Amino acid sequence: MDPKEEKMKIITEEVMENDEDADAGREKTAKAHRPRRKRQLRTAGPAEMVSGRADLGGPQEAAPEDPDPNTQLLGVSARRGPRSLPPIPSASRTGFAEFSMRERMREKLQAARSKAESALLQEMPTPRPRRLRGPGEKDLETEFGTEPGGGTQRTPREDDPQAHARVKFRDSARKIKSKPPVPPGFPSAEEAYNFFTFSFDPEPEESEEKTKVRSRDGANQEEEEGEGEEPPVRGANETDEEELLRGKDAEDFLLGLDPAAEDLVAVRPADYDGARVRLQKEKELLFTPSRLTVPTYKKLPENVQPRFLEDEGLYVGTRPAVPRTTQNIVENRLLMQDPDRKWFGDDGRILALPNPIKPFPARPPALTQGQGVNAELETLYKKAVRYVHRSQHMIGSGDPPGNFQLDIDISGLIFTHHPCFSREHVLAAKLAQLYDQYLARRQRNKAKFLSDKLQALRNAVQTGLDPAKTQKSIDITQKAINEYKSEIRQTRKLRDVEQEKDRTLLKTIIKVWKEMKSLREFQRFTNTPLKLVLRKEKVDQKADAEAYEAEIQAEVSELLEELSEEHEQRMEEYRAAYQQWKAWKKAQRAKKKKKKHAAEEHPEEEGEEPLPGEGPVKPVPPEPPSGAVLEQQVRERAARSRRRPGEPTLVPELTLAGSVTPNDQCPRVEVLRREDVKRRSVYLKVIFNGKEVSRTEVRPLGADFRVHFGQIFNLQIVNWPESLTLQVYETVGHSGTTLLAEVFLPIPESTVVSGRAPTEEVEFSSTQHVTLDHEGVGSGVPFSFEADGSNQLILMTSGKVSNSVAWAIGENGIPLIPPLSQQSIGFRSALKRADAISSIGASGLTDMKKLAKWAAESKLDPNDPSNGPLMQLISVATSGESYVPGFFRLEQLQQEFNFVSDEELNRSKRFRLLHLRSQEVPEFRNYKQIPAYDREIMEKVFQDYEKRLRDRNVIETKDHVDGHRAVVAKYLQQVRESVLNRFLIAKRHFLLTDLIVEEEVPNISSEGSGILGLSLFKLAEQKRPLRPRRKGRKKVTAQNLSDGDIKLLVNIIRAYDIPVRKPAAGKFQQPARSSRTFGEKRAASPPAHSSPAPSADYPLGQVLVRPFVEVSFQRTICHTTTAEGPNPSWNEELELPFRAPNGDYSMTSLQSVKDDVFINIFDEVLYDISEDDRERGSGTHTRIERHWLGCVKIPFSTIYFQARIDGTFKIDIPPVLLGYSKERSVILERGFDPVRSLSEGSYITLFITIEPQLVPGEPVREKFDSQEDEKLLQATEKFQAECALKFPNRQCPATVLDLSGKTVFVTRYLKPLNPPPELLEAHPNNPQATAELVARYVSLIPFLPDSVSFAGICDLWSTSDQFLDLLAGDEEEHAVLLCNYFLSLGKKAWLVMGNAIPEGPTAYVLTREQSHYLIWNPCSGHFYAQFDTFCPLKSVGCLIGPDNIWFNIQRYDSPLRINFDVTKPKLWKSFFSRSLPYPGLSSVQPEELVYQGSDKAAAAELQDRIEKILKEKIMDWRPRHLTRWNRYCTSTLRHFLPLLEASRGAGVEDDHRAELLRQLGDYRFSGFPLHMPYSELKPLIEAVYSTGVHNIDVPSVEFALAVYVHPYPKNVLSVWIYVASLIRNR
Amino acid sequence: MAEVHVIGQIVGATGFSESSLFCKWGVHTGAAWKLLSGVREGQTQVDTPQIGDMAYWSHPIDLHFATKGLQGWPRLHLQVWSQDSFGRCQLAGYGFCHVPSSPGTHKLDCPTWRPLGSWREQLARAFVGGGPQLLHGDAIYSGADRYRLHTAAGGTVHLDLGLLLRHFDRYGVEC
Repeated sequence: MDPKEEKMKIITEEVMENDEDADAGREKTAKAHRPRRKRQLRTAGPAEMVSGRADLGGPQEAAPEDPDPNTQLLGVSARRGPRSLPPIPSASRTGFAEFSMRERMREKLQAARSKAESALLQEMPTPRPRRLRGPGEKDLETEFGTEPGGGTQRTPREDDPQAHARVKFRDSARKIKSKPPVPPGFPSAEEAYNFFTFSFDPEPEESEEKTKVRSRDGANQEEEEGEGEEPPVRGANETDEEELLRGKDAEDFLLGLDPAAEDLVAVRPADYDGARVRLQKEKELLFTPSRLTVPTYKKLPENVQPRFLEDEGLYVGTRPAVPRTTQNIVENRLLMQDPDRKWFGDDGRILALPNPIKPFPARPPALTQGQGVNAELETLYKKAVRYVHRSQHMIGSGDPPGNFQLDIDISGLIFTHHPCFSREHVLAAKLAQLYDQYLARRQRNKAKFLSDKLQALRNAVQTGLDPAKTQKSIDITQKAINEYKSEIRQTRKLRDVEQEKDRTLLKTIIKVWKEMKSLREFQRFTNTPLKLVLRKEKVDQKADAEAYEAEIQAEVSELLEELSEEHEQRMEEYRAAYQQWKAWKKAQRAKKKKKKHAAEEHPEEEGEEPLPGEGPVKPVPPEPPSGAVLEQQVRERAARSRRRPGEPTLVPELTLAGSVTPNDQCPRVEVLRREDVKRRSVYLKVIFNGKEVSRTEVRPLGADFRVHFGQIFNLQIVNWPESLTLQVYETVGHSGTTLLAEVFLPIPESTVVSGRAPTEEVEFSSTQHVTLDHEGVGSGVPFSFEADGSNQLILMTSGKVSNSVAWAIGENGIPLIPPLSQQSIGFRSALKRADAISSIGASGLTDMKKLAKWAAESKLDPNDPSNGPLMQLISVATSGESYVPGFFRLEQLQQEFNFVSDEELNRSKRFRLLHLRSQEVPEFRNYKQIPAYDREIMEKVFQDYEKRLRDRNVIETKDHVDGHRAVVAKYLQQVRESVLNRFLIAKRHFLLTDLIVEEEVPNISSEGSGILGLSLFKLAEQKRPLRPRRKGRKKVTAQNLSDGDIKLLVNIIRAYDIPVRKPAAGKFQQPARSSRTFGEKRAASPPAHSSPAPSADYPLGQVLVRPFVEVSFQRTICHTTTAEGPNPSWNEELELPFRAPNGDYSMTSLQSVKDDVFINIFDEVLYDISEDDRERGSGTHTRIERHWLGCVKIPFSTIYFQARIDGTFKIDIPPVLLGYSKERSVILERGFDPVRSLSEGSYITLFITIEPQLVPGEPVREKFDSQEDEKLLQATEKFQAECALKFPNRQCPATVLDLSGKTVFVTRYLKPLNPPPELLEAHPNNPQATAELVARYVSLIPFLPDSVSFAGICDLWSTSDQFLDLLAGDEEEHAVLLCNYFLSLGKKAWLVMGNAIPEGPTAYVLTREQSHYLIWNPCSGHFYAQFDTFCPLKSVGCLIGPDNIWFNIQRYDSPLRINFDVTKPKLWKSFFSRSLPYPGLSSVQPEELVYQGSDKAAAAELQDRIEKILKEKIMDWRPRHLTRWNRYCTSTLRHFLPLLEASRGAGVEDDHRAELLRQLGDYRFSGFPLHMPYSELKPLIEAVYSTGVHNIDVPSVEFALAVYVHPYPKNVLSVWIYVASLIRNR
Repeated sequence: MAEVHVIGQIVGATGFSESSLFCKWGVHTGAAWKLLSGVREGQTQVDTPQIGDMAYWSHPIDLHFATKGLQGWPRLHLQVWSQDSFGRCQLAGYGFCHVPSSPGTHKLDCPTWRPLGSWREQLARAFVGGGPQLLHGDAIYSGADRYRLHTAAGGTVHLDLGLLLRHFDRYGVEC
């Protein structure tokens, strides 16, 4: 039975009472009808129970039969049946009754069946609901079972208007029928219907029913008479009753249906029962539960004690508030209705859920404008602003790590004076203070320290005086001893002072304690638990006395000594004075005598003679020091300041062991005081930068005037703190708070981090004036200890706060300290940055205090599970522990639910790899396909990375043969990293053009970009198929590329002036047969041969040279076919695949590719190896040998940035090429003489490009900070804009970046700088030679393109000293240095900015000689005349001098066609002009370059190492062959190399050849010296490899390798490598 | 050590009264989560629909998380902004939704709201643009007492997210 029904029941009760006509209820809809009836039944029983007594008057005979077990059994069986078996009423009576009842029913059933036909038909179509509703309604079953009872109760009303009842009843019957389910074994619905619609004869029921009522009444009566609560009995009663009711119910139906069978209608008067009668009847029907409290035992099972869960500590919620009477009524009814007492809990009360209603109204507080909005929810009206910034990211990214934390630990507060102090407290505070002082003194123990020092000094003096030990000069010892002595004096004085202080302190302590004791005695109570115990430490009297005595004696003797010294001094003085006096006296006497003579007549004058002030007083001889007096003094002093011998040492100990007199023994004033103290409480506010950030809890003031807080406040701050203040507030009772004092805390040093900060005590005092009407002495008010009011004291409230302030340490151990220069900009963003957790945490912290307070106030049940986390939090927060969790709601149980621990997560190799890859760590940047499982990842994947991390600061010298270069490499690496980081952010900024490629709309009108116009024009152009032009290709962005997509196309067109072979041993011996080249025998006549025959040395028909070109790139080698002659034409395209490092084709990666393209020119030599001539007829056996002639080296980065390289390059040919000579005769062949004669050398025409064309990285468009004048910068911009407008292709860098990334005006780099003195001394008389030497020196500094070192970022210019320190730089650095040298040599020199091949945009140096200009290539050291066709400089953008910049505004920019005269403003636009005069910019270069001398030993060592490594490498490259080294040849070569260096490779060839031939006559020899600047080993190896010397696989081949390293100043090294292969001639 | 891949896109937005819209988005996770690769936050382009009223961004989201627990499952917060004809940007709505926790593809609709502000601010917004914004963006997905915030409904942001979960079964999480 659910509460709802109960409620409805109650309602119906009322209805029943009020409504006269019971049938009115029935007339309502069937729905209303049914429940009502149910209720009636239910209430019926108890009602009768109550009213039963009234009916007892006429008891029936059946009553005693009632408890009959038999009937009861029947009753029970019938209990299931009543809804289907109507004749139950009689069943409980007697067998007969039951029988007759059944009989009758059956009859009626039969008769009614036909009548019910029609109704049945109506009923049939809706059988379903019955079924459906059936099973669920268990209780309905029983209800229904009792239902008929209601009907029976109404039997008295059976004479209701029948027609009415009939119609209605059919309705209701149908309804009822549809209700019950049909349990198996019961009559079907149809039967039931028939049964109910049958009309029965009501008569026999009347009496039976009555008896039943009686019997039940009887039973009830029994119950009421205290028969007891025996459940079985009651159960019996109830079943009985129910049966009865059921029977009645059935009857009711019958009666109700009765009229339906009647045909006759009788008119009767309205039936009316009088009110009294009705009440009486109602009493019979209704049960009114009593309002009296039900005793507990009734509600509990028998012999069960009520159990109160709450007392057992279990959580029991608050019960909903229900009036007591209501509860009683319900309990009473439940007892009656529900025999199982399942509604009652263990404590005998009705079961109830905790009160679900909040104790306060849930209406949210009205939102008043401007207040009450949470900080996090605050909104800010922002104007719609244009987006200007590029880097506005999503919430919280890119903000500086802004959360800093200041931990303020407030441990407590001690009042040293408080208005509520009693007099005793004042003394106690004093005592405590003194004691503290004493403790501090004792800890320092200065007296002891000084005594020890004294002792040590005395010892030193002793040993110093010891003549045996002092061998040193006596002067020194004497001096030292004197010093010691004065020291001793000082120390002794100090010690005495200290000892005296100690003693007075002790005395004061004792005095104050005595005062206190007397005060306690006087006032007859104790307020403070302070107790001073003087502990006496026994001392050995004898030893003590001896020590004392010894000390005194020592002191006395010292003093004596001092005094005697003093005395001596005095005596000296005295003697001098005495002499003086004597002299004076004599003079006086002489005078006197004279006077005497003169004054014999005036003898009376004589008395006046020795006038006191007249002459010097006769000096009194100083008293000699007396030991006794001295000792007396010393003893006095000792007695004053020192412990007497044998007197025990007094150690005061202040304890709190004393007892405070309880209140009831104190006088009233004191009690008042104590109460006042109790009412007071104190809290502190933490004020940060003038704002209150948090406050401590309010803690009551203890009786000892100490307050313990023990709270730590974690201030999450963003700014550097300006001030940190604690405000001490005192609350008195409820009257509000007063600000006692402010305590200013020092802001900790940035080194003070939490955990290490010491607790400091900061004193405060207040100026408040308080007068109290009790024992408290007040504050700022005079009071006195004396009874007469004398000796007044005025004390102010004061105290100490013990606290510590420190910076918190972040998770990774970094202190969370804001940088000092932190501005307030980052404030908002930093807050924004704080994620949910920390934001809740931050606000939660302040909230928490309130929370705890609230929890304490509202007396939260700590056992309530829903309060669990809160209570936990509060317990943590209030327990004073230092650890306060920052947040408590989020991820509270994180640990419990974690899958794995942090460590395991971090250990996962896969995750690490993924993470590193996404971080673009170089080693992993392009790691493809990370394995899915950890086990598949090798540990060694990380090895390199970890090693790199480890070695970041360790300089590795293994790879770098030379230590200095290792340092430089490291430094370069670091600069690179830092610069990279700086630029990384800048790189992320995109412009619209970066994202969107907009093809320009063809425009006819514009000239330059008018594609349409031009192409239209082109259409008309004549096609020249024999002169194809290169077409522009579409550029490809590098992101979608993979290995093999990129190819390097090298188009080798032709070469000029290749060296030609020389007959090897022409002069010295006949060429061996086998050494005749294969080509010799051929009668073919290549074009070269058609020319006039060379010198007589050459055999006729010999091919001069058969060159081919081999291009090697990234160890891929391609070569052309072999052409013939010194001016071959190949016209071949070679395709080389390109692989980016790590497969990373991003722009940055491509930019940093350091590989070079080597274009090597070889001569192919065919040797006939047939051993005898007999075979010659049948086959040819030739061996192909190739001899390296020279190479061109082009860095990939140049190709990448240039996109294509097209031009004629000078072939780098070794100065000595054994077996070859530059064919002078060639000059005769062709018509280039004037040109050719100017520039000796061989040339090759190339076209190199990358397929597909890659987009080169763009320079960063970032404005960097600069120290230049703002005006100058503006002028620069203007100048550059103007230049770019006129000649967009000519470069004009007016400002450049220095190594630290700052913009610097370019002329600041140019300044005369001294070249190394050695170079100047070399050719003192030949300036041209000196210039060449200097250029060579500069070219020996290794070349390292900026684009490689600072990938794709920008051009950084280092100053010359930086350049020389780094020993690496690109064209600009070389050019600047060279230009500076030239300037210092007195030349007119400029920096030429322009384009060259193959470098692209580059810097050269232009010098003006007497009549002509020379163009110097700073990287190679070569110089060219202005009109040299083969000058690599192809265009000139501008000239830069030390004081100006001239932009080329001539029509042409080729150096051949321009005029270098910068004084002509029509040709050169100068930066500084009359309108903007040169402001005299200071140079960024150093005043002077300092050169260390060359280190020959290091060079020699390096030389050996290089040689060793190269030899090993060559052997490595020939894995299948034996590599023999010809020592003899090697040593020859080694001797030869220094000569080459001396002559810079010129003009030694012939001598050398002769020398070699003489020594190695029987060898066929091919080899050459290579010359390089030294940077690292790798380029050397690469260069040797590219010559292919090792490729000879003749079995008898021998090798020779010699290395020479020539050191130049500043560690610039010139490396010569001579490699040669020798084949012994047979 | 379970892993979650979130791959998908912010398709676009409908129902905003403003026309040129863009969206800033970010993913917030709990402490147990570790981003292995991908970017946590981003911003779409401005889309001005020409046909229909749906702004399409088709902005990719590709995140790879490792996690040691279920707490703090990734959630997505969005800010839709509109750009007016003067190129000024103003807030059009804040949105929040959790990344689905079952593998497979999901179509999410994330309704948005924006702070209403006082009547003066509303008036100003209507006439001169701009509008109240949250001072602290994290109020989108955190904070108590949000009833204090008066908001107006914005449009809906549509997302397509595909999820790949890995190793969750190893820790007893069925998915």
